[in-house]
Amino acid sequence: MSTLFEIVNPSYLLFPALLGTMIMGLVCPLVGSFLVLRRTVFLGLTLPEIAAAGVAFTFWMQQAGLLPQMEQSERGVAMVGSLAFTFLGMGLLGYLEQRGKGLAEGRLAAAYAFAAALTILFMVFNPAGQIEVLNLLKGEVIALSKAELRLLVAVFGMVLVCMLLFRREFLLTSFDRDLAFLLKGRQVVWDILLYLLAGLIIAFGVIMAGPLLIFGFLVLPALAAKPLVSRMSSFLIVSSALGLVMAFLGFYSSVRLDLPLGPTDVTLGCCLIFLAYGLSRISKRMRPALLICVALWLSACGVKTAAPPVPEAKAIHAEQLWLARVKNSTALPLLLPSNNPLRSLAEMVGKVLPEDYRQSVMDLLRQNLQTELGQKGFQISLPEDKDARFPAFPADSAGATRIAREGKLSGMVFVTEIWRWEGETQKFVRALVDFKLVRIDDGAIVWERRVQRAIPTPSATNLGQASTDAIKAIVQDLFAG
Amino acid sequence: MKPAGNIDAIKSARGGDSAEESLPLVSLENVSLGYDSTPVVKDVNLAIYPGSLIGLAGPNGSGKTTLFRTILGLLPPIGGTLSRNCPLSNFGYVPQSAALDPQFPLSASEVVEMGAYGRVRPYQFLPAMEKERVKEILHQIGLPQLAARSFFSLSGGQKQRMLIARALMVNPKIMILDEPLSGVDEESRRSIADLLTMLARERGLAIFFSSHDLEMVQRVADSIVRIDKGQIWLDERKARLRL
Repeated sequence: MSTLFEIVNPSYLLFPALLGTMIMGLVCPLVGSFLVLRRTVFLGLTLPEIAAAGVAFTFWMQQAGLLPQMEQSERGVAMVGSLAFTFLGMGLLGYLEQRGKGLAEGRLAAAYAFAAALTILFMVFNPAGQIEVLNLLKGEVIALSKAELRLLVAVFGMVLVCMLLFRREFLLTSFDRDLAFLLKGRQVVWDILLYLLAGLIIAFGVIMAGPLLIFGFLVLPALAAKPLVSRMSSFLIVSSALGLVMAFLGFYSSVRLDLPLGPTDVTLGCCLIFLAYGLSRISKRMRPALLICVALWLSACGVKTAAPPVPEAKAIHAEQLWLARVKNSTALPLLLPSNNPLRSLAEMVGKVLPEDYRQSVMDLLRQNLQTELGQKGFQISLPEDKDARFPAFPADSAGATRIAREGKLSGMVFVTEIWRWEGETQKFVRALVDFKLVRIDDGAIVWERRVQRAIPTPSATNLGQASTDAIKAIVQDLFAG
Repeated sequence: MKPAGNIDAIKSARGGDSAEESLPLVSLENVSLGYDSTPVVKDVNLAIYPGSLIGLAGPNGSGKTTLFRTILGLLPPIGGTLSRNCPLSNFGYVPQSAALDPQFPLSASEVVEMGAYGRVRPYQFLPAMEKERVKEILHQIGLPQLAARSFFSLSGGQKQRMLIARALMVNPKIMILDEPLSGVDEESRRSIADLLTMLARERGLAIFFSSHDLEMVQRVADSIVRIDKGQIWLDERKARLRL
């Protein structure tokens, strides 16, 4: 439950991201409900892809010098391309709808394929900006800043107000165009407004959250709400409420299990659809009971069993402890930047190799562990002091025991293995690290812990400092329990 | 039977003394109907007066819905003169219930409420007065107990009556009903026919409905207009019967 309380705390580093996701979860289903009812769901898939092509195109143009370098952030530049392409695409699709022959689904499918192909081509033309574009299209909503959140509130708030004000007009135009014409005259203005609102949330949402999450929020809550209601007003309310549930639970699961937000949310949305159809097939009396069961199951999943801290040396009767080198299984060097400017100069002129005595994440983690283990009463020895040929020990207890026995060590060995260490921005580090305390005699695991989460590093000013702060946070967590 | 000529004979069953009632609500003079400049029916001459109960009979695909859509302004006439003496918001239109998308989660009362949307501004909640009127009309059509039910879970006859209720919410002067008696059981047919007769006789509404079942039209309508093979004419057998 601690993760739950942590993410709803406004001072939590990722709180703007949680708010942003929930705003999208609230508003997108309102627009998506009408797309579902009008049987234009595929538009919700095609427009985000067109927006993505716009992002890739803008970056390519800027890279080629055909567009001026703007002072805005990467997301600001991407937003321009996304908006322009979305509205251009909508205009073109609308024109073809009026003039063209053939199936609407066929046009949307062709537009989707074309936009997807263009996105890839634009990225190929602009290899230098490929990573930025890919990151933007992945939609790292987790990195949403407060300024971006304000923009999101303004745009999505406006869409929400329009959807509430004009819900009757949108309903009438969607359900019975003939009656709408008799009562209110030409209805094209409501069609345009509805698609304009859809275009706005898609263009902004794609940049903030990525095409997958936006499509998920548009369509899945509405599909889940449909079997549960028989009134239009309830349909809109339940869709929005399910969007909120999807956003919150998705965010929680993403943080708790260290999973990417978009796929987590979409998977959850699909589960909601199955649950809703299941609910619709049982009697109304049984529904609350089933919902309570699901809620209990979810809360049980959410309960974080308090992981035990590293035990005291006396408690396990093992004052002597071998602290093995930390094994790096990430395929990355994980070197920390040097604080010494002269060293950097020496590196530049080739006097010093970058690998020489540059501290790494593994070294720093081991140093921190050594200090804390000492405070727990352990007599720390380093395997390489006995024999310099000792390698880093794997976290696999059998492997660790084998190496220790071959090196004629006895007692206990503390092993650490890093599987993942990513600091894409300085705001957080995604880590997956295994820690184990293994008895060498019989290979028994006396204590173990896996740390798998995004570790917030709010005060870091660069990636190196972010890694340092993350190491401190992990070690503190291991020893505090 | 004679081919399209004047169908001015279709006048109010109540006589119509006032100047307003002597004017037809809709009149078509030599009107050609169709799509993309291709006429489906030519030389339509028709006048609909208040209180008249007119049946339009013809086989499927003969142009009944095209005629209705032209009268309602949903399709422009290809030629001739079409004039309406009341605004389009006074037309109560009852489409074929099968033409409505069952995808929409709508309760019966929400469907009926739609008839009031023309009088409510976007930012307004539906006024209590309109909600009362919905209840009143549901009583009139004899289905108040179905207000909360899902519209698309109703039987064919119940759906038709709900759509008639929606058309009545408009406060119409003329009602146009597209195949209101098809796809419904005999009991529902009778109750719909009684309802249409009551609306024409007691409330003076002009009722113009279509059916591909000539026998049914003969049982319900005061006057019958036949449509087939691009022609439209007054069925004089029925006219004589009424005389």
